[in-house]
Amino acid sequence: MKPLLKNSSILLAVILLVALTLPLYAGEYYIHIGVMVLFYAYMAVAWNILGGYAGQHSLGHSLFMGIGAYTSTYLFSVMGITPWLGMWVGGALAGVMGLFVGYLCFRYGLKGPYFALVTIALAEAAVYIATNAEGIGGAQGLSVAWTGNAPEMMQFNGKGGYYYVILVMTVAAIVLSTWIIRRRFGYQLLAVRENEDAAEALGVDTLRVKVQASIISAMLTALGGTFFAQYFTYINPRNVFGEGPSIQILLFAIIGGLGTVWGPVVGALVLVPVAELSRGWLGGSFSGAHILLYGTVMVLVMLFMPNGIVGLYEKIRQRIQNRNEKSEVA
Amino acid sequence: MLEVSKLRRDFGGLTAVHDLTFKVEAGEIVGLIGPNGAGKTTTFSMLAGFIPPTSGDIVFQGKSILGLKPHQVCKLGVTRTFQIVQPFPDMTILENVMVGAYARYTGTVDARRKALEVLERVNLAHKANTLGKNLNLLELKRLEIGKALATEPSLLLLDEVAAGLKDAEVDNILVLVRQLNKEGITFLIVEHLMKVIMNLSHRVIVLDFGQMIAQGTPDEITKDPAVLEAYLGKEA
Amino acid sequence: MVFSPELLLQALITGVLLGGIFALISVGLSLIWGVMRIVNFAHGEFLMIAMYIAYYLVVKGGWDPYLTILITAPALFLIGILIFQTTIRPILKDPSMNQIMLTVGLSLIMQNLALVFFKADVLTANTTYTRLNFMLGPVVVRGSQLIAFAGSALTAFLLYWFLQKTETGRAIRAASLNRDAATLVGINVRNTYLLAFGIGSASLGVAASLMIPFYYTSPTVGLFFGLIAYVVVVLGGLGSFPGALVAGLIIGLTESVGASLLPGSLARVLTFGIFIVVLLFKPQGIFGGKQK
Repeated sequence: MKPLLKNSSILLAVILLVALTLPLYAGEYYIHIGVMVLFYAYMAVAWNILGGYAGQHSLGHSLFMGIGAYTSTYLFSVMGITPWLGMWVGGALAGVMGLFVGYLCFRYGLKGPYFALVTIALAEAAVYIATNAEGIGGAQGLSVAWTGNAPEMMQFNGKGGYYYVILVMTVAAIVLSTWIIRRRFGYQLLAVRENEDAAEALGVDTLRVKVQASIISAMLTALGGTFFAQYFTYINPRNVFGEGPSIQILLFAIIGGLGTVWGPVVGALVLVPVAELSRGWLGGSFSGAHILLYGTVMVLVMLFMPNGIVGLYEKIRQRIQNRNEKSEVA
Repeated sequence: MLEVSKLRRDFGGLTAVHDLTFKVEAGEIVGLIGPNGAGKTTTFSMLAGFIPPTSGDIVFQGKSILGLKPHQVCKLGVTRTFQIVQPFPDMTILENVMVGAYARYTGTVDARRKALEVLERVNLAHKANTLGKNLNLLELKRLEIGKALATEPSLLLLDEVAAGLKDAEVDNILVLVRQLNKEGITFLIVEHLMKVIMNLSHRVIVLDFGQMIAQGTPDEITKDPAVLEAYLGKEA
Repeated sequence: MVFSPELLLQALITGVLLGGIFALISVGLSLIWGVMRIVNFAHGEFLMIAMYIAYYLVVKGGWDPYLTILITAPALFLIGILIFQTTIRPILKDPSMNQIMLTVGLSLIMQNLALVFFKADVLTANTTYTRLNFMLGPVVVRGSQLIAFAGSALTAFLLYWFLQKTETGRAIRAASLNRDAATLVGINVRNTYLLAFGIGSASLGVAASLMIPFYYTSPTVGLFFGLIAYVVVVLGGLGSFPGALVAGLIIGLTESVGASLLPGSLARVLTFGIFIVVLLFKPQGIFGGKQK
């Protein structure tokens, strides 16, 4: 047990060191891939709190991403308020939405595919509302006005600045997610996922913890939405509220390993570079290449390793451990 | 400690529990028996807040617990186990029990200490790091009691906790329940195995078709003609 | 938008005709969902593929759109059972989330394969039926939609008859009610599932051929119809055919009447609103159906 722990903290330190220094030696293109890895890791970690820990699988998390992206972009472009502030306004709005959605669904006992369907419907409804709301750009969407290299406006020359912003956000999200899972709230969420009746019988206020998870997950996702808008400088109803972003938010958590702290991060770390590189190589001739890859990996993971990469790793580790124990006995 | 009065539950046109009235005193072990479909598990579910009664009242330690949710009932000191064991399969045994302990302790250190204590009591300490899905039936039954115990109940509702176990294993459970009772936990137990009921109960309540047809000491019950009728009459 | 009785009447007619198609797209999903308890999130993509098949037969092969049913229905049946055997059967007993994720994965694959092969272009087949319109009093009735409505009703009826009256149909229904009991009375549940999945997919082949004279094809067309199918199935009650028909009409009317009363595409919000309300307050649907 001990040496394993030591190994993993060394590994963690190395990864963190590489992550911290990447922009110093990597070119813009590789920094961009780094940004994408971190962004999707961040979103997957956020989704995982409701989807993985509490086991309530939202297929419409773009609802919250869109609220975050639109709020900060509107405040910035129309009123000149810095996204550093706007992201928290968006986060708060998304939190309220998370409360509303969570309470509504869980109060009426929606589970499994039914919860998934409601979340899709809400996100799709948001697409059409945003499309028809001319005040926020309608179908055209909103552009983030370029104000030059202005860190106070979350705008940077080059990609390095964005890289560090999302790095800090991702590390913070991982810390939060780790902290949650080690305390009462986290245990109660897992219990709800595993067996709701049993949890309730043991004094877990299942409705309350599910709604809380929904609020936290929604807020974090919205903060990611603001980053998305700042980085790509353009948002429209489909690319922030649509089905595409919804699936990309949860994809890496599923592939990496649902309900674990590191699953979402590992999923993004393994898959995003492959997808981004393949997109780069195949270029415009094959525009859906990365999504095709995601879909295929998703199907294969569900068929052959439903607990994701981390789940598979745990299984192998346990098998080795068991074998060692047996040989010690013998 | 527990006063149930005129408790009734209808499912559609069927009355599963019919104007049931009984009491459980602090420190007792009360057995609840009856043929299949007599309404035992339905009664348990109502006591623990899982299904609302159609009418009647449940008073625990002087206060009505009617309309409370299961987690609220648990916080007041009434915890149930399930006839079909309900572990958290992908959590370790320690974590399983900690979920129960968190009902009383908000801090993880305290909850873990409590859970380890309970694991010792139910003989599962050596399995602390095993996943819930990897236990055998006896261990699962013990875990079921362990999780409930960790919530520090004053009244523990055990639903068929010995069903499916071998003789020696049943004896294990008997010893455990008796010990816990000595330490002050009151028990209401539903059980098919007469051996368990007759060995443990201070008092037995017999249900048939949702109604109480007899109550008394195990000895009295076995001689009660109404009980014999309910259990044997239909086959004779 | 100016409100006029003619406009409303026009919307009503269009809504009813549209509702028929919605119903046909949904009965296949209802069958699969009801029998296997699996929500196929790739349902819309099956339709999309069928529409491409129909489109190319009509445009490149010069087929009569309605004759393409002879190809689209069997093709979709085969694609359905192929996908069922390779990906869905192995996870029939897995947690519902894994099933959802798997079918979402399938939908991504199908959508993006379509993107690769057919490009993102929106394709419309201009057939003789496309312009077969006539006036009914003050309103225009599109002939192709009327045929589609009739075809949908007929197909749905045939499916219903098949499930109710034939031995195989009864076996499918028995398997949907109680898997274990069905096995006990000698029904081969595995084959039954395969058949149900094939039939559910084949019905989309029929729908595609009926739609091709008046509806466009694109890689993402399945997204919308898939969602509509979930709405209709939930609203009508899982596994209920009459429910799917009535719910199809309700949603068709909501879409078309909504579109004539509300600005832009806000009518769609109304559709999803109905869906959410039904899921929350009456998840067993307006026709009762089975418990969730």
